[in-house]
Amino acid sequence: MQIDRRIIYLFVAIGTILPIIFVIGLPVSITPPVQMAFDRIENQLQKGDIALVSFDYGPSSAPENAPMADAILRHCFSKGIKVVVIALYPLGGLSEAVNEVNKVVAEFPELKYGVDYVNLGYKDGAQAAMKKMAENIHEVFPTDMNGTPLDELPIMKNIRTYRDMKLVVSLATGIIGEWWANLVNAQFGIPVIVGPTAVSAPKYYAYLEAKQMAGLLGGLKGASEYERLVVNSYPKLAEVYATPGLYTATKGMDVQSIVHLIMIAFIVFGNIVYFTSKRKPRKAS
Amino acid sequence: MPGLGTWLAAFFTLCMLSFLYKDNPFFRLAESFFAGLSLGYYIGIVMNQTLKPNLVLPLIHDFQANWHLVFAAGLGVILYFRYIKRVAWVSRWALAVYVGYYVGVNMMQKLHGEVIPQVGDTMLSLSYHGIGTLWNLVMVIGVLSVLIYFYFSTEHKGVIGGISRIGIWFLMISFGAAFGYTVMGRVSLLIGRMVFLVNEWARPLIGLIT
Amino acid sequence: MKRQIPLLLTFLAGAIPTIAFFVPQKHVGLVSTTLDSWLIIVAGFALLLGVVNVVQMNTNKIKRQASGWPYAIVLLAGLAIMGFFGVAGAFDKFGGIATRPDGSSTPFDWLYKYGFLPLQGTMFALLAFFMASASYRAFRARNTEATILLIAALLVMFGRIPFGEMVSKWFPLATEWIMGKPNMAAQRGIMIGAALGAASMALRVILGIERSYLGLGKGE
Repeated sequence: MQIDRRIIYLFVAIGTILPIIFVIGLPVSITPPVQMAFDRIENQLQKGDIALVSFDYGPSSAPENAPMADAILRHCFSKGIKVVVIALYPLGGLSEAVNEVNKVVAEFPELKYGVDYVNLGYKDGAQAAMKKMAENIHEVFPTDMNGTPLDELPIMKNIRTYRDMKLVVSLATGIIGEWWANLVNAQFGIPVIVGPTAVSAPKYYAYLEAKQMAGLLGGLKGASEYERLVVNSYPKLAEVYATPGLYTATKGMDVQSIVHLIMIAFIVFGNIVYFTSKRKPRKAS
Repeated sequence: MPGLGTWLAAFFTLCMLSFLYKDNPFFRLAESFFAGLSLGYYIGIVMNQTLKPNLVLPLIHDFQANWHLVFAAGLGVILYFRYIKRVAWVSRWALAVYVGYYVGVNMMQKLHGEVIPQVGDTMLSLSYHGIGTLWNLVMVIGVLSVLIYFYFSTEHKGVIGGISRIGIWFLMISFGAAFGYTVMGRVSLLIGRMVFLVNEWARPLIGLIT
Repeated sequence: MKRQIPLLLTFLAGAIPTIAFFVPQKHVGLVSTTLDSWLIIVAGFALLLGVVNVVQMNTNKIKRQASGWPYAIVLLAGLAIMGFFGVAGAFDKFGGIATRPDGSSTPFDWLYKYGFLPLQGTMFALLAFFMASASYRAFRARNTEATILLIAALLVMFGRIPFGEMVSKWFPLATEWIMGKPNMAAQRGIMIGAALGAASMALRVILGIERSYLGLGKGE
């Protein structure tokens, strides 16, 4: 039975728009990979430790990766962990890093740029940059994204290599997240958490199981779980996430649920039609 | 009232979404403009974030310590010789260095960072220790059967064919899971755009009208 | 000369990081990390190769007034506008390419937020619709393998949403089990096979056996 594809598009569009207007507020359960990521930052990192957050995504996956980035940054800042931000994804990584960091930092007025966090900007070469950072990060990023020499930034005074950092968090689309696991973690030992898009997430379970990663935030679901964890642990963040009109992964999961049900219904309906049409010729004979 | 930027973003979003009805000049206009913007974006970030801080400024401020970067610049410029017919063959030198470096890095990355840890983690204990033994068996059988499926140097019949079949079943489970996640991923992207259209463009507009 | 030198350069460029991996000696490490610095810069130049190609193609299209040539003008206009503000930012005009210290957007950042981001975001968002349509049309339990794929997909799609847990706590548990055990095993098998293939291809390139990337055939 042929349904015009535009009817299907209409169902998907309505299924997306209605839950945005009429927020449902469905609960989010936590899965072990996300809990591992949260526990690594919450229990293994102390105030004053350095975390490297790499924005390895662009607008093509921003609705998934941006909520992860926000949640991780809010968690780090709430715990007093200092954050060094970089970007290795050419098509939008820098701008995403700038916009997300600016957005989150505005919620923490006590933070000082260059002391509590810094944005070193984008660098070409990905693997070359990752390898070189193990020798001297100041040679890879001689200045921050605005051109200020690293020697003038207090946070960077004692950071030379991965040994001076406690954790790498990569919010990734595509293969760059894998490189943090199979190049940086494998060769230099620093723990890595990756927040991949849902499309890439199934592959990362192999790295997680082999302990090449310290945690995994898979897609919008992973982002919503991490939001739930930080909201439960930090009451101040609960207020932030309750801001009306703020797009969060948790709200996005409401919409996700409805659209998934629509697609499951279409798939099941399509199969019912397929099996009944297969049986009809036999009945006729 | 939505600002100029929001109107522009909404216009572009609707132009792209119009493709769902059918191909039309608005979609093609938006698509072409997007292609141009992305290339312009590359120019901006490469010049600002790599060439200026890592090449130009080190050569200007301390040539003595950084003179070797001239070779890097030379290699980069030579890449563009491919567009000049008479000297196009020289661009192969730069390409050779670029490709050679990345395959060299990749080779060790794959062997040391993928093959060894993944094979090592597959060496699981199959001696009885509760339900964990069953899951370990699933993992070991899964990995081995998939590897045997991808071994095409021998015909897939008999025992090899049977194990290969099991490998296919594991692959089908994995692809089904990947499909489920892909659906989630694609829908997330749609949610992002619809949230913008509804919350940042339509709602303020409707609020203004009503 | 035209053949030998590129092959030698490939060998050296590939061998240096490999040797440095095994030989933790100061001078070997110095050569390797210098090469890392160079390749960051060369990668930047390489990224812009495509720009030259596209400009060439589209100017030819406009000159010949080939089909769709007005769109080529739009493309070049987009490139020129964004590129201009990008280059100007490198000379510290208009406040650079990020945001200014007061939080306001530079022209480059403004074009990104209100031009590039909605365009690319919506382009990828269209995939959700196509996926829904394709799933309805093509996703059929035609045989054993397709049925396994269908069941796994439906379980993951249902188990990953809050409704799945509201119906039964076994759905999210089953989903997590599928991801962590059979999916992980299959992905690991694919990963090992692909990694061995990639490593052997890399060795072929470094040793000069594989030369197609230089535009050379087997006998050349």
